[in-house]
Amino acid sequence: MTFRQFAFNNVLRNKRLYAAYFLSSMFTVMIFFTFAVFAYHPALNSSDVNHNAQAALSTSKWLIYGFSFFFVLYSMSSFLKTRKREFGLLMLQGISPGQLRRMVFIENMWIGTGATIGGILIGLVFAKAILLIGENILVLDEKLNFYIPIQAIILTVISFLVLFVLISMFIAAILRSESLISLIRSQRAPKSEPRASIWLSILVIVLLAISYGVALLVDANLALQLLLPIIVMVSIATYLLFTQLSVYIIGSMKNRKSFFWRRTNMLLLSDLSYRMKDNARTFFLVAMVSTVSFCAIGTLYGLQALLVKSSTVETAASFPIAYTSMAGDATQSTNLQTIRQALSTAGIPSQEAHLALNQYKLKNDQTERIILSETAFNQANVLLGEQTVQLQGNQAVVITSSTARQTAEHQMLQKEVQLSNGVALQPTRVIFSQTIPGVSLALVVSDDLYKRLGTPASKADIYAWTTNASEKELIAVGKEMFSEDTFTQYGAYHILDFPSYTLYTVKSLYGIALFIGLFIGIVFFVSAGSFLYFRLYSDLDEDKQKFRSIAKLGLTERELNRVLTQQIALLFFAPIVVALIHGSIALTTLAHLFDAQLFTECATVLGIFFLIQLVYFFIVRFFYIKQVREALH
Amino acid sequence: MLEVQHVSKIYEGKIAYKALTDIQFTIEDGEFVGIMGPSGSGKTTLLNMIATIDRPTTGEILIGNRNINKLRKNELAEFRRRELGFVFQDFNLLNTLTIEENIVLPLTLDGRPVREMKQKAAAIAERLGISSIMNKRTYEISGGQAQRTAIARAMIHSPQLLLADEPTGNLDSKSARDVMEMLEQLNQEEKKTMMLVTHDAVAASYCSRVIFIRDGHLYSEIHRGENRQAFFQKIIDTLSLLGGHSSDISSIRV
Repeated sequence: MTFRQFAFNNVLRNKRLYAAYFLSSMFTVMIFFTFAVFAYHPALNSSDVNHNAQAALSTSKWLIYGFSFFFVLYSMSSFLKTRKREFGLLMLQGISPGQLRRMVFIENMWIGTGATIGGILIGLVFAKAILLIGENILVLDEKLNFYIPIQAIILTVISFLVLFVLISMFIAAILRSESLISLIRSQRAPKSEPRASIWLSILVIVLLAISYGVALLVDANLALQLLLPIIVMVSIATYLLFTQLSVYIIGSMKNRKSFFWRRTNMLLLSDLSYRMKDNARTFFLVAMVSTVSFCAIGTLYGLQALLVKSSTVETAASFPIAYTSMAGDATQSTNLQTIRQALSTAGIPSQEAHLALNQYKLKNDQTERIILSETAFNQANVLLGEQTVQLQGNQAVVITSSTARQTAEHQMLQKEVQLSNGVALQPTRVIFSQTIPGVSLALVVSDDLYKRLGTPASKADIYAWTTNASEKELIAVGKEMFSEDTFTQYGAYHILDFPSYTLYTVKSLYGIALFIGLFIGIVFFVSAGSFLYFRLYSDLDEDKQKFRSIAKLGLTERELNRVLTQQIALLFFAPIVVALIHGSIALTTLAHLFDAQLFTECATVLGIFFLIQLVYFFIVRFFYIKQVREALH
Repeated sequence: MLEVQHVSKIYEGKIAYKALTDIQFTIEDGEFVGIMGPSGSGKTTLLNMIATIDRPTTGEILIGNRNINKLRKNELAEFRRRELGFVFQDFNLLNTLTIEENIVLPLTLDGRPVREMKQKAAAIAERLGISSIMNKRTYEISGGQAQRTAIARAMIHSPQLLLADEPTGNLDSKSARDVMEMLEQLNQEEKKTMMLVTHDAVAASYCSRVIFIRDGHLYSEIHRGENRQAFFQKIIDTLSLLGGHSSDISSIRV
């Protein structure tokens, strides 16, 4: 047996111990790889995809990598902790610090290599699913076909080999500081019972009350400014909640003998108070990580809901493309040329309309009002298939583009509008119309009256097009238009109203954010689950031993199940419930900020998380109880 | 061979606790020395310090004229690997390795050639009567076999000093006697220096000398004459003088 064989056998024959570490490393690699497959997809890297999106994908990739580093480091160190005694023994047999480091290094490199290869293989399977999801969430013209992701494979292999080398070196440095006696005694040392301070327990409640109160009651914008202090307070409170308040509560439960000495309560609680301190840091970590993922996903999902809502509110017919040109627009002719060119290139039949948009000064104040002639307005209405208006004398119609303002404009009906040249108009009704692009409020008068209005204070021209084209065709037209470098949507003297294309650009930008947010949120959530899993399995041997001796005293299977179920449930749900509460408060504040009702959205997101956690709990519980039960026979 | 010079050990803490006070004794080459004393007398603390697991607060320990407290980490590892052998109450075998692999572990760490390791393992297994279980794993063997494996591991590299901490503590009386006879044999035939910490008067009676400790002080020492039975009686007498609770002395297994 050479040293290398020794290290190898050590891993190979201790599979179960290494399995958890190996699996979580593999999972990390898989996540990174799938994301890389996505980020390097040819369809997302062609030149016509938004630069911001590409930058966001690339940044998130490294964010996930950074997170992977800490996640693997955490898994590694919790894995090594369970092996302290083994290391002590080896040191007693005369393993030198260098050899010990080399052993850990060799082990890690094997596990790392295995995890990298395994992660990539599983990732390849998942990649197809991720590409499908991506295709649906992102607004893309092309399909995200499956491809052989050579770039992603190379990147993943190199990044993770570097990561495992770094972590191996890091861990090797940590190992050095432990003294032999503490290593050997690590399993035997009786732990002292943790104590909790009543003042710190009260502080938890005070801090939480202040943070929640500020988040919920104070004006949302102010709450946003107070974000940092709130986060700090909530973090401290959460930490103390697990280290102090929980221990305090368990302690007072133990003092009530009628409760504590009832059946299996004693088993559960006595253990819990000892374990709580060990678990506190894990709980804290899991609660914070889960809160972040809830907030991220909740925010994105809520924003998406808002976006969808806002794009479906206003329903009057309007021109799909409209170009408003103010006096002094030097680029007018070339821009119009570009639009017409784009429409004809796309082969879309369209009708062009021209509207003169004149503003006239009012008599008593300095404001100006847009006034249109009956003929011009009706021409546009006919093109759009909207109802026309008929006017006589000095009658005028108020048109407004917003349903919300419709009632407010009714007060205009009460008095005449006096123009600066003495002409008086009598508004007779208000109608909701989006016929005139980009105009929220205007008056329409009869042609006779229009001629008598005099010279307008300012002039603008609207060129508008109607088509029967679908959204998709319109987006294609938009792309064609904007491929012209000199063409801009907003200039000093012109505006292009092109709702389909604007929505498309917003959505495609937003889709990337949603996708990345979802991805990172899920990564955080799943790794929080893994933290719990590690925590639980580091207690497995202790539990086996404990229940073996209790079983000798007589413990039914049902009682065993109950104690273990309660124990695991607490471990799984204590941090998640805290995170759910934090998350729902944060999302409520967010809803206030956007002045929107996001209750259903938030409840859906949080509910789904809770469900996933529940499934996770049942799976882990099943295997854990099975293992403990096997140890009894 | 082993010199313990004015060794004291204080455990720091909320209440500092003096585990050992000014312990001084020597062990010559080829001696087989037992350390006895009631619970809490500091036996194991003493053994741990000689085993380089723990450090004395004051005083020095010399093994083969080398001050073991002045060794650096790597020197210490090498020293443990080449000069010391350990046998524990709970065997401390690595359950990921086979019996044979456990035995050759000190040599493996020393980077010896595989042929040499095989040869030495076979030789020592033969002596200790465990040749037939060489390819088994630790959970497939009995306590007596596990302890013999541990002794084989402690002996394979021919250490200067073999240290044993309650080696019979987890064994039935027959296995305990086998193990002690084996140690005695190794001591007499190969002139190995050994030190043993025990509660068990029977186990101690195999030693050539027994040192008694009480409350961290040296109490007395007695030498073995020709007759082991008489020596055993002397040990029992001293223990009762020592005045530990009778329950501290494990049941007599003759």
